[in-house]
Amino acid sequence: MTGTWTTLEVESAQPCATDVLTITLVDPGGHDLPTWTPGAHVDVDLGGGLVRQYSLCGDPDDPRRWRIAVLREPAGRGGSQRVHDAVRAGGTLPVRGPRNHFPLVEADRYVFVAGGIGITPILPMLRRAAALGRPWTALYGGRSRDSMAFADELRGVPGGDLTLVPQDEHGLPDLPAVLGSPTDRTAVYCCGPEPLLAAVERETAHWPAGTLHRERFTATPVVAEGGAFEVVLQRSGMRLTVPEYEPLLDVIEDAGVEVENSCRAGICGTCLVRVCSGEPDHQDDVLSDDERERGEVMLPCVSRARGELLVLDL
Amino acid sequence: MVDVRNVRGGDGLEPIRAEIDELLDSVVASTAQATEAFFASYDEDPDPARLAAWLAPRCWREIDYVYLLNEEIARYGMQFERRHITLLAKQSFQEAEHYDMVGKAIESLGGTVPTSVPAEAEPWSRFLWECLDRHPLAAVAAWNLSETSASGSFEPTFRGAERHGLAEVTRIYKRIETDEKFHVGLGLQMMSTYVKNDDDRAEILRAMRGMRDIAWKTFTPESVSAASA
Repeated sequence: MTGTWTTLEVESAQPCATDVLTITLVDPGGHDLPTWTPGAHVDVDLGGGLVRQYSLCGDPDDPRRWRIAVLREPAGRGGSQRVHDAVRAGGTLPVRGPRNHFPLVEADRYVFVAGGIGITPILPMLRRAAALGRPWTALYGGRSRDSMAFADELRGVPGGDLTLVPQDEHGLPDLPAVLGSPTDRTAVYCCGPEPLLAAVERETAHWPAGTLHRERFTATPVVAEGGAFEVVLQRSGMRLTVPEYEPLLDVIEDAGVEVENSCRAGICGTCLVRVCSGEPDHQDDVLSDDERERGEVMLPCVSRARGELLVLDL
Repeated sequence: MVDVRNVRGGDGLEPIRAEIDELLDSVVASTAQATEAFFASYDEDPDPARLAAWLAPRCWREIDYVYLLNEEIARYGMQFERRHITLLAKQSFQEAEHYDMVGKAIESLGGTVPTSVPAEAEPWSRFLWECLDRHPLAAVAAWNLSETSASGSFEPTFRGAERHGLAEVTRIYKRIETDEKFHVGLGLQMMSTYVKNDDDRAEILRAMRGMRDIAWKTFTPESVSAASA
């Protein structure tokens, strides 16, 4: 099952691009690993309280090994440094998963946009699209040619149109060229740094809702998870402080304002409230991408604020 | 409004998503039709004992879920994430509350709250437990379809209860309606998260197809007549 930790052996740990380490993991007993699908990730326990998620970027049809790729991020919180400094072939790593929150949906054609290490979930997706015989277009940007992992593997995938965009040679990827004209039954997948995601979101704003599927591989620039913020309940005329780690719904109820609810886990949607202003930090499991993007409603049982103030229609 | 069928989880159900949606839609429609038929018959013969008898298998489902959910946790819980154990336990608690609430409604109508499986609910209960024995996700699939079937009964129940001034029945089922969104979403999330292969998917479809043929039947007026015979 995917929810339990398993210790896997590091079969190999090799650089595949500047500051990118590719790690293959196998079962120490030689058994098959759980199956996975493109877009899946695993949790890796790096010790010292560092648990990180990495996309699987190998071959889903190879049950013997998983592959991940890790970019060294000197300004990160220590996870990637530890991988680069301590993970070696023959060692072991506790791993949990795989899980897939970024699955490849059925579509007639695909557009993939990747930035830097964001290529990792895209690579197996692109291969799957090719295997299905669906036309695909991929735009892959990176700081420099040497920093772009898996470029050779990508060139070997048939049936599509791949454009590599090293920034030091060609500048930023030309998004309007691939996203300017919406096409029917097309799925757009994007993974990369926040500015790229924001740009792709802008370029696909006129595409049908649900077209864009994206995964952030760096934390969004928001207040820390669990950070305190203020909430104004507009109809009740209350201003409340939501302390770190205390659910917004608890604070609202403690103030004597009733909100119908059931699961308090972001699943049932019963506590849905309208957001008058402020930006929700959605943590639920049930709102659609479109609802999340619009930010007009939220589930206060699990979701919080991206800024210092939320105003709710309560 | 939020659609719990879109709950996020893994992508394990994607290959069978279309059939699952079809099964769920089908049982909602069957249950709605059966409930409409019951309240149409109740309009002609508004005997509180008949309504109490109609509620009895509903009531039993609630307590049977309590037993089943706890057995699911006992047998398979350590294969799931901790949050899913917590949420299964929460669902179990809510089902116990529903057993109590529907029980009170039955008593208010002069009926008797079931303390063992009513004859008309036996096929449903037997199938559910058989699914639990077969596979960790089969019982989840069976109860998920059964819970979804109940959602087809709510609107006809509210309309029928309103026609007969049964405000307490409406209040109780409004509460149950809310909780069942959670239960349906949880089941779908667990299945999509933990299904690993085609064998798992086959077990899920077997459980859902089997329950589709059973779940709606106790909502019919004929079921009540057979129970009273």
